[in-house]
Amino acid sequence: MTTEIAPRDVTPPPLQAPTAKEKKYDRQLRLWAASGQRALEDSHVLLIVGDEYQGSNSSVAGVEALKNLVLPSVGSFTIADSAQVTVSDLGVNFFLDSDSLHKSRAEETRRLLSELNPDVTGHAITTPLAEWLPVEGSLKPYNLIIACAPIPSEILQRICFYALQSSIPAIYVQSAGFYASFSIQLPSAFPIVDTHPDPESTQDLRLLAPWPELDAAVDSLGDISSLPDHDHGHIPYILILLYFLREWKANHNGNSPSTFKEKTEFRDLVRSRARVDNPEGGEENFDEACAAVLKSITPPPIDSGCKEMMAMHLCTSLSSDSANFWVIANAIKQFYETHGVLPLPGSLPDMKATSAEYIKLQSLYKAKARSDVAEVTTTVRHTESLLSRETTIPESEIEAFCRNASHVRVLTNPAHEPFPSLRLGSGDHKTISRIASLLENDWEALLPVFVGLNARANPSSPLDVTALTSDPELLETLTKATAEVERVSGGELHNISSVIGGMVAQEAIKLLTRQYVPVDGTCVFDGIRSKSGVYKI
Amino acid sequence: MPRDQYARQSLGSTYRLVKESRVLLVGAGGIGCELLKNLVLTGFGEIHIIDLDTIDLSNLNRQFLFRQEHIKKPKALVAKEVAQKFNPGVKLIAHHANIKDRQFNLEWFAGFNIVFNALDNMDARRHVNKMCLAVDVPLIESGTTGFKGQVQVIKKDKTACYDCTAKTTPISYPVCTIRSTPSQPIHCIVWAKSYLLPELFGVSEDEPTELDHSGDTDNVEEIEKLRQEAQALKKIRESMGSDDFAKHVFDKVFKEDIERLVNMEDMWKDKKPPEPLSYETLEQEASSINSSIKLDGQRIWSPAENFIVFKDSLSRLSHRLAEEQSKASKTAQPLPTITFDKDDDDTMDFVAATGNLRAIIFGIETKSSFDIKQMAGNIIPAIATTNAMVAGLCVMQAFKVLRGEFTRTRWLWLWNGSLRTDQLEKPNPECPVCSVAMGRVHVDLEKATLNDLVQDVLRTRLGYGEELTVLTDAGIVYDPDLEDNLEKKLTDLDIEDASFILVKDEEDDNPRIDLRLAIEAKKPTDQSKPVALVEKEGETLDIPRRPTKEDAPNGGDVDGDDANGSVVTNGFSIAPPTVKRKRDLVDDDAASGTPAKKLQGPVAAEVAKNSALNAIVIDEDDGTLLIADDD
Ligand SMILES: [Zn+2]
Repeated sequence: MTTEIAPRDVTPPPLQAPTAKEKKYDRQLRLWAASGQRALEDSHVLLIVGDEYQGSNSSVAGVEALKNLVLPSVGSFTIADSAQVTVSDLGVNFFLDSDSLHKSRAEETRRLLSELNPDVTGHAITTPLAEWLPVEGSLKPYNLIIACAPIPSEILQRICFYALQSSIPAIYVQSAGFYASFSIQLPSAFPIVDTHPDPESTQDLRLLAPWPELDAAVDSLGDISSLPDHDHGHIPYILILLYFLREWKANHNGNSPSTFKEKTEFRDLVRSRARVDNPEGGEENFDEACAAVLKSITPPPIDSGCKEMMAMHLCTSLSSDSANFWVIANAIKQFYETHGVLPLPGSLPDMKATSAEYIKLQSLYKAKARSDVAEVTTTVRHTESLLSRETTIPESEIEAFCRNASHVRVLTNPAHEPFPSLRLGSGDHKTISRIASLLENDWEALLPVFVGLNARANPSSPLDVTALTSDPELLETLTKATAEVERVSGGELHNISSVIGGMVAQEAIKLLTRQYVPVDGTCVFDGIRSKSGVYKI
Repeated sequence: MPRDQYARQSLGSTYRLVKESRVLLVGAGGIGCELLKNLVLTGFGEIHIIDLDTIDLSNLNRQFLFRQEHIKKPKALVAKEVAQKFNPGVKLIAHHANIKDRQFNLEWFAGFNIVFNALDNMDARRHVNKMCLAVDVPLIESGTTGFKGQVQVIKKDKTACYDCTAKTTPISYPVCTIRSTPSQPIHCIVWAKSYLLPELFGVSEDEPTELDHSGDTDNVEEIEKLRQEAQALKKIRESMGSDDFAKHVFDKVFKEDIERLVNMEDMWKDKKPPEPLSYETLEQEASSINSSIKLDGQRIWSPAENFIVFKDSLSRLSHRLAEEQSKASKTAQPLPTITFDKDDDDTMDFVAATGNLRAIIFGIETKSSFDIKQMAGNIIPAIATTNAMVAGLCVMQAFKVLRGEFTRTRWLWLWNGSLRTDQLEKPNPECPVCSVAMGRVHVDLEKATLNDLVQDVLRTRLGYGEELTVLTDAGIVYDPDLEDNLEKKLTDLDIEDASFILVKDEEDDNPRIDLRLAIEAKKPTDQSKPVALVEKEGETLDIPRRPTKEDAPNGGDVDGDDANGSVVTNGFSIAPPTVKRKRDLVDDDAASGTPAKKLQGPVAAEVAKNSALNAIVIDEDDGTLLIADDD
């Protein structure tokens, strides 16, 4: 809700208010920050619509996806579509108006999409794919390709090959009637630093691996049983836990509580030392300490994704043209090997404490985080000079990596596999047997939708569904899904294409900003049941 | 080929229902724009759209029906105008108004086949929920926050309503933390937004909800001191407009009040006391800063920069208030005030700068104004993609609603891009809104007395005995010991058009459940009776009796642990209020008369064979997503 502000004519302020741009994109900057916005604005997305006429050729899904990229201000987009606008296009595509009839669909949708956001540049290619695609360098301007099904195999193959070779992601989207699906083809390695993990899971308090300064803070407490009530009731819970861990270890051969049973015993120990003979009848900081035991008395976290990254060949064998990501990853790996922990993220949860104590503890964590970043930076600089790299990696990039180290992910496509639809169209046996085995455990019963959408991926030799299963009931489901797709003959339902367009754009934003973890595989959507599922086909 | 060929093809017989339907869309914001587009292109026959808001720059990144040139224009009217072009065949009606206005009464709500909620606040959501329940019109409720979103179908007696689950209340902070002992940036921001700004520019009697007074009694002395401080600040307010206003304010809140705190030596025995700031020193430092530098919102400002922004925003706000006050005095309007608005740069700058100056005093880290905006404004991140998905899902639920397949509607969640579904919950028998019986009365407001209502409708027509209580929002208007009101006109008791009354049966023996009656100003057909019960043809209102303990089925059966425990109960079903998720919504099978199939866990092969086994749902443990607000 906005409050109306009366117009005013005071002298303009000496300060510049946030730019209009900052205001316009305020609500999304909260999701992917200025760095994500920059990446988005540096992007050029290509939307390809197939030449062979089949209903609306999933073009509405593609255009709806573009709409959701134009609004948050993708840098540029290009629509390649050789079709002319028909009357039924008008009934299903919001970005066409009655003046568009019989004109180029690429040109008309470009025009109306461009109206959405003056910050975005739109282009249209109206010549058939077979003519412009083979031209040398035709795909060079783009860093994401969205292809709308159906596209003939030889053309699709060319797109897939190009995307893999130049390490850019590509998306294949299909929408017919109530059914829709999209697949993402990733480059051989797709690293993500800012995966935006749940803040709860990123907490790293180092209770089981305190560094000297944190230990010193515990020392300075002295014997807490002799503290006056006020001070006793304001010891930050982190220090309480560290204090009693020492006592526990002294009585347990130097071991920390590790099993559930030991942790509960440890919690009872902490609870027994809370003072209850005060007016409140208890102490909030001790309550917080007890509540944190199970969650926080754990070894410093390291995600399996980070471990996988450190084992990757790209991480262990650097070259002078390794991406920045891998140079930092290598330094992080060295840090981990030296210290047995990752760099400290440095953030502290809220807790009962005096302001001064809290701020002191907070600066302790921050200082440690800074010194860890400094160590990683030294390693990075060393590597840079060893490899005689020309540019130095920005400080901020190293810092961001250190902060997220435990949650960094590298998605991979090691076998350079193209879209499953393409593999299915060429009758690839591996793909067919993979679908057959997925069908055996398809609880959501969504794979038949994908099979239906792709049964005629190769028009000259339709898919033989009997190769997928011998189960008569499942066979009937597959046949029904295939028949449903044939019945609507490529006609899109605006509403379904709008949903799948939203999903495709969401994934595109993740891919372009390199933030959040995108869908890895094929997403299938059944609009009759409002269900979706993701499969690695 | 006709324009609607694809829709006809895919929807089959449902297409006719769609074309003949009359729907209401409440809200033309993020989800509203998407929904309107989908409704128009799907071919819904008549669409009413209502919104109170005007268009703001920060809407344009997702509310795609609006452009730069539409800023400050009414959302509902622009949305209609833009969307109409895309399907001239659809009847579109726009209302730039508040959905809570009396003109949108029950009769008006009753004229729709479906209502879609695409709202940004709980209050309006609750209102629409109540209205839809009262006239038994299905409601499709939706919300998004960032990459998350949800869709819920609300149908009287079949599914849970918006108020069946308690909604979370906003966080509040103890007064002393905010006023005397801040330890985190948020404490300083709340101080600037909920204390300083209202004290200077607002109605100071307003009690900000962010302050929690529950601990006040422990600090009687300190609270009294704080009250005096606020009094002194009010005095300074009178010097607004004078040249040294900024210095007065500054010295008061950043120096004197802090000095008083420092002098309370007990508080700072073994910790660093706050350090008051000096106006002169900061002014000196600020003078060396080039005033044309760009103070962007992403960077953290230095103390002197905060000082500059403080002085500047204070002066802007003072001018504004003075101007509005002089305007108001001419027209004898109430004195204007300035309240916090995250998208109002003047208030935002003021809160950022004063919050940061206070943080500096207490040795707390300062924040960029971008971050402060988030913390002060409760900004809900919003993007086009999530809104597109949620709006599309709403329409798919609408198809099922139009076909009357309520048992097949689902609760849908979007969680970072993946769609999850769950069965809708049964109405909560403890729900204050939908657990009561509902009825409507037509009233001749010129004539009707409370007696007409109690005697003619409640006792004669509905069979209530002597022991009953009638309540309005203001309280009890009738019970056997309070007969004075009986001769009064309903309007004298503030019972007006579009208001509700609650009737409680107080008989000891087999009492009825509570009844909520909606009042509609319309002369009953029988002229002799000024109040008449409204009943649909062939239906009679029969108010169920309160269930006794013996009637309650064993609560254990509806425990959420049993993933597929479809439970069919006879008569009135009661579940313990502690049960979070009840899976007793009867599914397709049960609806047709056969008992719901009891599945013992998802048997993979069986399900894979038959896609019609919709009883298998993804079991979401975490059901605590907030229904978000996208404006
Ligand atoms: Zn309810």
